[in-house]
Amino acid sequence: MKKTHIIGIILIALAIGLIMSSLVSTSKYATFTEASKSTESDFHIVGKWDKDKGTEYDPQKDPNLFVFYMKDQEGIEHKVMLHNTKPQDFEKSEQVVVVGKMKGADFQASETLVKCPSKYNDNKPVQ
Amino acid sequence: MTIHYIGEHSWAGFLGNIFLVLSFTAAILSSAAYFITSSKPLEELSWKRIGRIAFRIHSISVAGIMGVLFLMLYNHYFEYQYIWQHSNLEMPMKYIFSCFWEGQEGSFLLWTFWHVVLGNILIRYSKEWEAPVMTVFSFVQVFLASMLLGIYVGNLHIGSNPFLLVREMPENLGLPWLTHANYLELPYFKDGRGLNPLLQNYWMTIHPPTLFLGFASTLVPFAYAIAGLWKGKLDSWQTQALPWTFFGIMILGTGILMGGAWAYEALTFGGFWAWDPVENASLVPWLCFVGAGHVMLVNKNRKISLFTTFFLTIITFILVLYSTFLTRSGILGNTSVHAFTDLGMSGQLMLYMLFFVWMSVTLLLLNRRLKIAYTSISFLLLCLGIMTGIKTAFVFTFGLLTLVLLIIGYRRYFPKEEKEEELWTREFWMFIGSLVLAIASFQVILYTSFPVLNKIIQVDFIHSFIQGIHGKLVQWFNFKGLANFASGNLAPEKNAIAFYNKWQSLFAAVVAFLVGFGQFLRYKNTPFKPFIRNLLLAFVLAGILSGIISYGLPRNNPLQFVLNSFLCFSSLFAIFANIDYWRKIGKGKLGKSGSSIAHIGFGLILLGALVSNAKKEIISRNIRGDLRTIDKELSNSSNILLSKGDTLPMGDYYVTYLGRRKGEGEDKRNLYFDVEYLKKQETGKYRHEFTLSPLVQRNERMGNVFEPSTHHFIHRDIYTHLATADLDPSIGSDNGEYTTPVEKTAARHDTIYTSNSMLILDSLTTRFDRQRYRLPDSILAVQASFRALDENGKIVLVRPVFTIRNNESKPIEDTVPSLGLRLNFFKVDPANGKISLYVSEQKTNKKDFIVMEALIFPWINILWFGCLVMISGTILAMRERIRKLKGKADDK
Repeated sequence: MKKTHIIGIILIALAIGLIMSSLVSTSKYATFTEASKSTESDFHIVGKWDKDKGTEYDPQKDPNLFVFYMKDQEGIEHKVMLHNTKPQDFEKSEQVVVVGKMKGADFQASETLVKCPSKYNDNKPVQ
Repeated sequence: MTIHYIGEHSWAGFLGNIFLVLSFTAAILSSAAYFITSSKPLEELSWKRIGRIAFRIHSISVAGIMGVLFLMLYNHYFEYQYIWQHSNLEMPMKYIFSCFWEGQEGSFLLWTFWHVVLGNILIRYSKEWEAPVMTVFSFVQVFLASMLLGIYVGNLHIGSNPFLLVREMPENLGLPWLTHANYLELPYFKDGRGLNPLLQNYWMTIHPPTLFLGFASTLVPFAYAIAGLWKGKLDSWQTQALPWTFFGIMILGTGILMGGAWAYEALTFGGFWAWDPVENASLVPWLCFVGAGHVMLVNKNRKISLFTTFFLTIITFILVLYSTFLTRSGILGNTSVHAFTDLGMSGQLMLYMLFFVWMSVTLLLLNRRLKIAYTSISFLLLCLGIMTGIKTAFVFTFGLLTLVLLIIGYRRYFPKEEKEEELWTREFWMFIGSLVLAIASFQVILYTSFPVLNKIIQVDFIHSFIQGIHGKLVQWFNFKGLANFASGNLAPEKNAIAFYNKWQSLFAAVVAFLVGFGQFLRYKNTPFKPFIRNLLLAFVLAGILSGIISYGLPRNNPLQFVLNSFLCFSSLFAIFANIDYWRKIGKGKLGKSGSSIAHIGFGLILLGALVSNAKKEIISRNIRGDLRTIDKELSNSSNILLSKGDTLPMGDYYVTYLGRRKGEGEDKRNLYFDVEYLKKQETGKYRHEFTLSPLVQRNERMGNVFEPSTHHFIHRDIYTHLATADLDPSIGSDNGEYTTPVEKTAARHDTIYTSNSMLILDSLTTRFDRQRYRLPDSILAVQASFRALDENGKIVLVRPVFTIRNNESKPIEDTVPSLGLRLNFFKVDPANGKISLYVSEQKTNKKDFIVMEALIFPWINILWFGCLVMISGTILAMRERIRKLKGKADDK
């Protein structure tokens, strides 16, 4: 074996091992039920905003707290407390991904990703 | 019955389609003719001429397509889908280019265009390589041109055509308005939907073309590599490809950095790099490209990394295709803010990519039997995939097969230099550096590909297989973490930026360290003592300076602190060592200094990124909010509320919100929020420093876009952006109008917040002074009694009444003139005792306030300066390579 080979193989093996090992600690997509089971770890939950319950955001009180209710993909609904400002165009959202953990009955989120509807089908002429 | 539609500019689409078909067929012809040319032992000139002419026709057609599309955009032919979708009348003409490449078709066109430009240069200058290289080039053009065809072969939809009329869109088929000959009179067609406001930025007119030129330039080395394999010239192609590789590295790098500059200037995530999948998708090919360029340099002197060179050159191009697939297929849906919409082309893109993988690997195998085995199994997998429909499983199997055969092919059939090499040689460490770059790109692409991995794992039998392994692992090692992987539910890291920073700062530090000492190594063998002596100065200088800088770095995360200090040291070491090298060995001459300058630039970029990022300071610390309800771990206080006229301390500044103003002329959609930065003088008076005007581009249709505003000093930037603001421009003006009522619900003892008061529902009663409202006893009526507390705690009572007459609810509103409030109580829910009401406020009531974030980026100019240095260094290096290539040709 040549040195390049040896060092190369060691390096690659080491790096791939390390990178793969961090797969272990990654977060996962889950439902509220799963998140309630292990309140220690962070989860990504995909769901829909419950429009009927509205949103609460009062920057005068706290500009970094936004509250809404979300139904996950199993249809279970929980209160979500997002510790950040109100996401832009939240009202238009079609789908919401929240990242955080369950605390009691509420989901404490640190991040959200708001998906707005495809821009392709708006304002089609009907008649 | 055919309808003769009135007012359509059908000639434009007709012309465009002719060019489309022409460009496609000419590319096929060119590819075939060049293929025949290069397959003949003696170059057959007539075929070569056909190839050239066909490529020229292809070039003219591509220019024609673009010309027609521009013409349509310029003249606002809104009956065409592409025009309607990406432009409108209001938009300033300077953004016509952004409109052009906003859509998938336009960006493919841009990409094709750059291939055409590069191809024409190659025809002129590539001499004996012309035929095989242009075969590959035209062949790729066939694929790209087909992406724009938009035809159906059976059920298969090939390409997406930019010249479709709105009425021809599949989703509009059979709609009633199609029967009107004068449908263009409909208001819908009077104006387009318009350009995404995010793209209405000058960076967006230059970033995409640069980036796509970078992507396009990866094809040149790829074509040379394929030509080399095909013609059995495993070695000599590299000299030809080298200048192109450095050109590509320079352009693609510039394109990526421009994207960063755009993000810094127009997006509000607070930084120039967010490790967003779209950013990653362009960074990864660049990393491999840089690796490829460096192993080519190694091979020029010692043929020790021939296979790696092929591998990196090919993978760079494949990664460009993969990036296109990732960003254009919609698969990133849940992970990226800017993932583009799927036009149903993802299958086609995937197939093209796999085709190029197959083609390159077949050529790389260098053994007839292996080639045949690989090709036939691949074909079998393709057929099975199409027939059974479980595509992902077969793609996965194909990937595994490719990997295994590549390893076998390399070990058994690839020529290798037998001689043992020395440890202290430039080629050895350059090789290691390229390897680290490749590993770094693997880390990024693996984590960016989570959605793809999830999709693969979710296929039934792979799923159960991995679950099985996982079960065993849990039995043996209690290895729980793999569960996410095994269930196909991998989610991106919670704090993606910190996660990627951690990994990439490690890789960057290693690479920068190699860049530092690599220059002083010689090819073949280096005497050890003078080598160390040469490095000593740079080493000591970097040690001292990095010690000082690291002392000021944040230490809340010990691991990141260690990595940051290491990166700080390595980047300084790279800078100093290369300056020293340039001085000592390059003698300060410009001709030979390309690599030193580029490496200095690279070091500066890393240093600037490190310092501006690690020492980034949020100066808008929020002090409001009920501390009891705020979770310590989650508390986020980076956004602050500023009311008009308030002055709050932020960092070493005092900040006042002056108010809002509307833009004028072309900027009339913009709403500016002026924020003044002051400093307190010893006399206690405030001194004006500068005013920042973060803005909101108001766009009802596509969503409002917030843009930051930054004040640049040499040593730091003050960056300010809005997080939330009421976008009514008339707020704060005095006209007595009420805002649109807001619906609220409340049960007894609940509190409703308005902008200037708290409303507490004390009671609901049917027994009240009905005379006051002139209500007969026969009518059902409920009065809600609210206590309204203003900011000073003064109490006013508000009593709206809800009545039902003839089965119809009739609310009687109540107002509080002193608070500018109007309550309208319209519903009672007997089940839970909750009431619903509308609350409206006078516009003057609403305080003009904004929620903003202010950040300081120290020394970010080192980063931008480094970019310029690196770009100029790469240009010099490229010039040097071209000069050498010419010198060689002259020698012959």
